[in-house]
Amino acid sequence: MKATFAERGIVALLVALIVIVYVFPYAFLVSTSLKPPADALTIPPTLLPQRLSLDNYRAISEFPSVQRSFGNSSLIALLCTGITLLLAVPAAYGVARYASWAGKLFLLAALITRLIPPVAVGIPLFAIMRSLGLTDTHIGVALAHATIGVPLAIWLLASFMEGIPRELEEAARVDGCSRLGALLRIIIPVAAGGIAVTAIFVFLASWNEFLFSLLLSSTGVKTAPIAIAEFKSQYSIQWGTMTSLSVLYSLPVILFSLLMQKRIVAGMTMGAVKG
Amino acid sequence: MKKLRFLLVVSVLLLLSLTAGAQDAVTLTVLVEQGGLWLQEAAAKQFEEETGHTVEFVNVPYGSVFDRLSAEMATGGAAFDVATIDVVWMSHFAPFAEPLDALFTDEVVADLFASLVADAQIGGTYIGMPTWANTEIIFYRKDLWEDPEEMAAFEAEYGYALAPPTTWQEFDDMAQFFTRDNDGDGEIDMYGTDVKGGVADFEWMIAVLQAGSPGLVLDAERAIIIDNDEHVAGLSYYISHHCEMDVAPPNVNEIDWGVAENLFYQSQTAMFRFWGHAYRLTRGDSPIADLVGAAPMVAGPGGVGAIPGPWFNIVPKTSANKELALQLVQYLYDHNALGIEAPLGLAARKSAYAQYADVEGFENLNPLLETLDSPQTIGRPAVADWQQIADEILGPIGSDALTCDEDPAELLAWGREMLEAMGYQ
Repeated sequence: MKATFAERGIVALLVALIVIVYVFPYAFLVSTSLKPPADALTIPPTLLPQRLSLDNYRAISEFPSVQRSFGNSSLIALLCTGITLLLAVPAAYGVARYASWAGKLFLLAALITRLIPPVAVGIPLFAIMRSLGLTDTHIGVALAHATIGVPLAIWLLASFMEGIPRELEEAARVDGCSRLGALLRIIIPVAAGGIAVTAIFVFLASWNEFLFSLLLSSTGVKTAPIAIAEFKSQYSIQWGTMTSLSVLYSLPVILFSLLMQKRIVAGMTMGAVKG
Repeated sequence: MKKLRFLLVVSVLLLLSLTAGAQDAVTLTVLVEQGGLWLQEAAAKQFEEETGHTVEFVNVPYGSVFDRLSAEMATGGAAFDVATIDVVWMSHFAPFAEPLDALFTDEVVADLFASLVADAQIGGTYIGMPTWANTEIIFYRKDLWEDPEEMAAFEAEYGYALAPPTTWQEFDDMAQFFTRDNDGDGEIDMYGTDVKGGVADFEWMIAVLQAGSPGLVLDAERAIIIDNDEHVAGLSYYISHHCEMDVAPPNVNEIDWGVAENLFYQSQTAMFRFWGHAYRLTRGDSPIADLVGAAPMVAGPGGVGAIPGPWFNIVPKTSANKELALQLVQYLYDHNALGIEAPLGLAARKSAYAQYADVEGFENLNPLLETLDSPQTIGRPAVADWQQIADEILGPIGSDALTCDEDPAELLAWGREMLEAMGYQ
């Protein structure tokens, strides 16, 4: 049955509304970053800049520590993604292939850790990292971020791996592959789309994380969200600089997501239909 | 052979002295927010040069100072040797802070504002050394206040000369005088002042002190005074600019400090009450950049009064370098004036402010000095649950009062009930 013109119009309108709701805050952020600092906060607020200015972007050069923080964020997010995948891929494989009560319990435990608010584990995590001498180190912050990433990745990857036919693996075993060999040579290449999607989500979770980064970093590994938040002082918020930094900080992720769009969509639907 | 032995001994001694020197050089870690970094950086650099030790600032966002130090306190951590904290956190961190009584000599106490000396103590023990103090003063447009036509028109209407306001009555007169619809379209183009409903938990209490209250919410013995006559008068005065005089932008709940600052610097208000540091941070691209004047806070029936916003250096009990940390705190006090040339341009010592008060570009310092030195400039009670009182009682009272439908006395009576429920008498 073909949709009528009116039905298509309603759907298009709804989609447009949803897009506006999602895009508006970001558009406002970009617009504010292009206003002169004095116009950043006006009453009533204006969506479009009355005067275009790049002053907020130029001002970034005055803060070398902010520039360093972008490098720290990148390194920590990459480390976190690597650690997470290293742990989550075999864990998800085990859960998917051995559908035992222990596996289900493990998945449930992973879910529960996702439900605990990070602020509740912040201080114990801080104490552990300090006793290990890992505060203010890239690896320490990345490990802390991995505590968020690993449960998320296990859940995502387990559903992807459940969608891979067992026969593929069994054929590899018949041909002499060990279980680990089958995982490395068959399962991982087949689940590459899902692993890529998981990697992106884990990277983003680390890229945007605030609390653990705040507790575990001092001067050496300060991440960009902390450096951006420093422009909110006791008496005022430097909206201009904060918005320009936020735009710059979000750009790599947006560009990457656009470039990887096809792979992300393919990966997200991968586990949806079980063979 | 003898020569060789001599050289060997000398080399060993040299090596030992170098090693000893290296061991003595300590890195002191100081937790700060941006203001603490700006205001103490110069003095810390000088400390490094004089002592050979290193001072490393850990700069975090404002609210995160509390979070980081709380994490240290909860885990017994020794990451920081000194922490620069807001006065409102003093009670919370008191059990974690080293007593500083030895630093508070008569000479030191005499050079500090009375409110800072009071705020530096918790339970009779000095735990924090003031490093700077800010407070709200009056900012006004010099081009308006010094315009001969405006001066003549004002004098003709009100019967006295136009000058920066010194009393509630003068403030009200000037706020009404400068509230204008310049182009006759029925819309107000410039308001006389603002009402900061976005920080209602703080702003209305300034008027309480100006009304003559001996304290804010609680008296010195921690007895409830939130419903005394001065609190009623202060709250009534705070809302009158919005509810009775219409001399402030009507969207009061949207106006916090940042918005109020922007309104003034975009010439949408003629004068406003704001933190003294802003004078030194006037933006060059503001249409009134060179036209800003500063005056002491106005007086109510009780005199000039304001709430100080001081920051204190504390030494955590867990610091591994306690002696040196105390030396640094003393040094930062001794060289307090060095902070005045930093962007915020603030200090804690009267002598530091006085040193710069007549220097061009520091015209805000005399008003700050006068306001901070006033007997009615009194700090917030040093109780651990102050933030809860502010969030759950003072904020709602201010917001409800700004609806203009509630009786201030009744709201404050409700405040008493809430405080009693928290265990205060």
